[in-house]
Amino acid sequence: MRRHYLLFASLSLLLSLLVTAWQEERRAKPVALTPTLTGRVEYCLTCHSDLPQVSNSHPVKTFGCVLCHGGEPLALDANLAHSTMRGGKNPSDFSVVQASCGGADCHSGTAESNRNHIQRATTSIQATYAGAIAHIRYAFSDQLDQKAKMGIFAIQVPWSTSGITELAAFDPTMEKSPFVQAFGQKCLTCHLSAQPAQTGGRYDHFTGCSACHTPTQSADLSSADTKTATQIHMLTTAIPYTQCDICHNRGNYDLRSITFQPRTDLPADRLHDYYQPIAQFTICEWKLECVDCHTRTEAMGDGNLYGTKKEIQYIKCKTCHGTLTELPRTRTLSDPNDLVFRMADLNPVIDLKLGDTILFTEKGEALWNIRALPDGTYEMFSKANGGRFVFRPVKGSGCTQDPSKQDSGSCHLCHSVQR
Amino acid sequence: MPPSFFHHLHPPTIPARQARLGYTLAAGGLAVFLSLLLLVTGLLEMFYYIPSPDHAAASIQTLTFLVPYGGLVRNLHYWSAQLLVVVSIVHLLRVILTGAYASPRRFNYLLGMGLLVLVILLDFTGYVLRWDEGIRWALVTGTNLVKSIPLVGNVLYAILVGGSLPGAATLIRFYGWHIFGLTLMAGILLGWHIFRLRRDGGIALPPPALRPDHTRITRFELVRREIFAMLLATVILLLLSTFASAPLAAPISAANPVSESARAPWFFLWVQQMLKLGSPFLWGVVVPLAVLVIYSLIPYIFPKPIKADLGRWFPKSSRFAQGVALCILLAIFTLTIMALLPSY
Repeated sequence: MRRHYLLFASLSLLLSLLVTAWQEERRAKPVALTPTLTGRVEYCLTCHSDLPQVSNSHPVKTFGCVLCHGGEPLALDANLAHSTMRGGKNPSDFSVVQASCGGADCHSGTAESNRNHIQRATTSIQATYAGAIAHIRYAFSDQLDQKAKMGIFAIQVPWSTSGITELAAFDPTMEKSPFVQAFGQKCLTCHLSAQPAQTGGRYDHFTGCSACHTPTQSADLSSADTKTATQIHMLTTAIPYTQCDICHNRGNYDLRSITFQPRTDLPADRLHDYYQPIAQFTICEWKLECVDCHTRTEAMGDGNLYGTKKEIQYIKCKTCHGTLTELPRTRTLSDPNDLVFRMADLNPVIDLKLGDTILFTEKGEALWNIRALPDGTYEMFSKANGGRFVFRPVKGSGCTQDPSKQDSGSCHLCHSVQR
Repeated sequence: MPPSFFHHLHPPTIPARQARLGYTLAAGGLAVFLSLLLLVTGLLEMFYYIPSPDHAAASIQTLTFLVPYGGLVRNLHYWSAQLLVVVSIVHLLRVILTGAYASPRRFNYLLGMGLLVLVILLDFTGYVLRWDEGIRWALVTGTNLVKSIPLVGNVLYAILVGGSLPGAATLIRFYGWHIFGLTLMAGILLGWHIFRLRRDGGIALPPPALRPDHTRITRFELVRREIFAMLLATVILLLLSTFASAPLAAPISAANPVSESARAPWFFLWVQQMLKLGSPFLWGVVVPLAVLVIYSLIPYIFPKPIKADLGRWFPKSSRFAQGVALCILLAIFTLTIMALLPSY
């Protein structure tokens, strides 16, 4: 064998060793994090150091990433690391929410500890869609009354006090009416346990808890740009109306073709653009955020099964303004462990103190962002942006409304904004 | 230059025709080299690998991603193992297609067949040690095949798996077989194989009187050629290991169903394909064993190649054996391709 063969082979080996060492040097240096809650090291931050902390109440040093998202904590290969993530980009999707967000100390504790959010949210009409299903089946004669019988998934709540203790799973293929079948195919993309109409980008966040608690402020919903998606790594209770508007967006139903034409724009001018032309409304509806009036049980349910929105929505004008004969209900804060302090801490738009008097509803829910002032007025801080509003009670005003007629239509006869 | 220890492992001189690359394909030598590399990289892996179901996959992830050059060591072990299967089969084919199995090398041929079986078993047990979703199908299917053997199947299964289902006992048994049992047997057989190679007169050639040329090379030249082959093999292994990572998947989770798209390791794809035909015992046990037996009996049942034909490819006197071996190999190859194509 000629000597230069060996020389050539040796040089090749040297070169490949250099290539190997170069590749090894190019590898990302592992960034370790051992979250205090798990005590198990994870290396997600090697790649995801640019991600903003999801919320102040979920500090990354305490929770890490894997506790909520799943995934392979040790893998530095993106495909492998992400292969076991719960719910893909949305660990709060209701198919996995129990594993991601649940736990007695987290969001599936007892009602008494106010930690039963998952039970409430998954039984709410936003998740079961029971009302829409009942009404469409009734409209096309697949059921003879408007009582909710079916939900997106079968569910039993034996202790439900609403009169509905179970819902069967809605199976469009078993329906007689072709319209109801079409409804099943086309219209089941807008509830919290849905398969969203599209995937990628922000659509990945439109189910489960994140549908509301991960606000997407700006427009382009069709963006599949992952960079944009990472910017909404956020959980908050400061939910702007624009987030509610993504689903409750005043689009148009067409019962002949069973289609829904959603609004594609996010109305910038709420007064002129937001409501249907014939709508009657007043300043509360366009100056405040949806969540300023619609409380947590209205939006997320109270643990019972319901058939319509009306059965769970109970906030009226009088909840905050009272009537001619009654002031709104109030409570003076005397317990430092009161839930309201936790709520105000999560979303610090108001500096609540012991001794403050706040409003609460007829069902006992605290309106923790509304405080009674010494001069008999009330101040409200908007949950989404902290804006301050001062308002008066009806009692003592010139209002002549019959105290027994307190639906919004009655109030809007006088209190209506003109566009 | 006095001969070194490594030179002394070789005969002082050998006929030049025994060391022609076009004849030997360097397959036997490369198999020895790959075995040594597997031993070294395997020993290094043992410092990190934890043979328990809860930790196995995670410990491999640690080795692969977090230990400096750990991924390289694992990839070298993986690629050496895959290449060893290939090189062993090439070596076997070379022996069959040149008629080199003829007496007095019949027994060494059997030792070689034993080594091939051990290489495949070592590869399979090593594959199972990953203990991730990627190996689950093959583990469940492979061990269930053992169960399908009449009379002794259940006993064999219990011995192999250590319970009614694959679990911690299975992993530690596969680990024991991989790092100790099979490795020890392979080491002994390899030593024996090389001893018999020397005892049987080296690589097969016609008797001196029938040889066309009588040139010889020294062991210095032989060692130089071996080093050349080893260097090139190392270059290929390094490049493969740097740019193509050994497979990894998420740890086995009982909550997951066994994936339907899962595949056997590539060298068992032909068996996987046959299993679609029906009886697991027939297609998964009897037929593969029959293939092994036929290959093993080639030196004993087929017409013997004449001595003058040795040292050449495709000698006429052993065409029948060559045909049988190639037909079986073609069938295995076709079944493997079919297993890779989704439509079959």
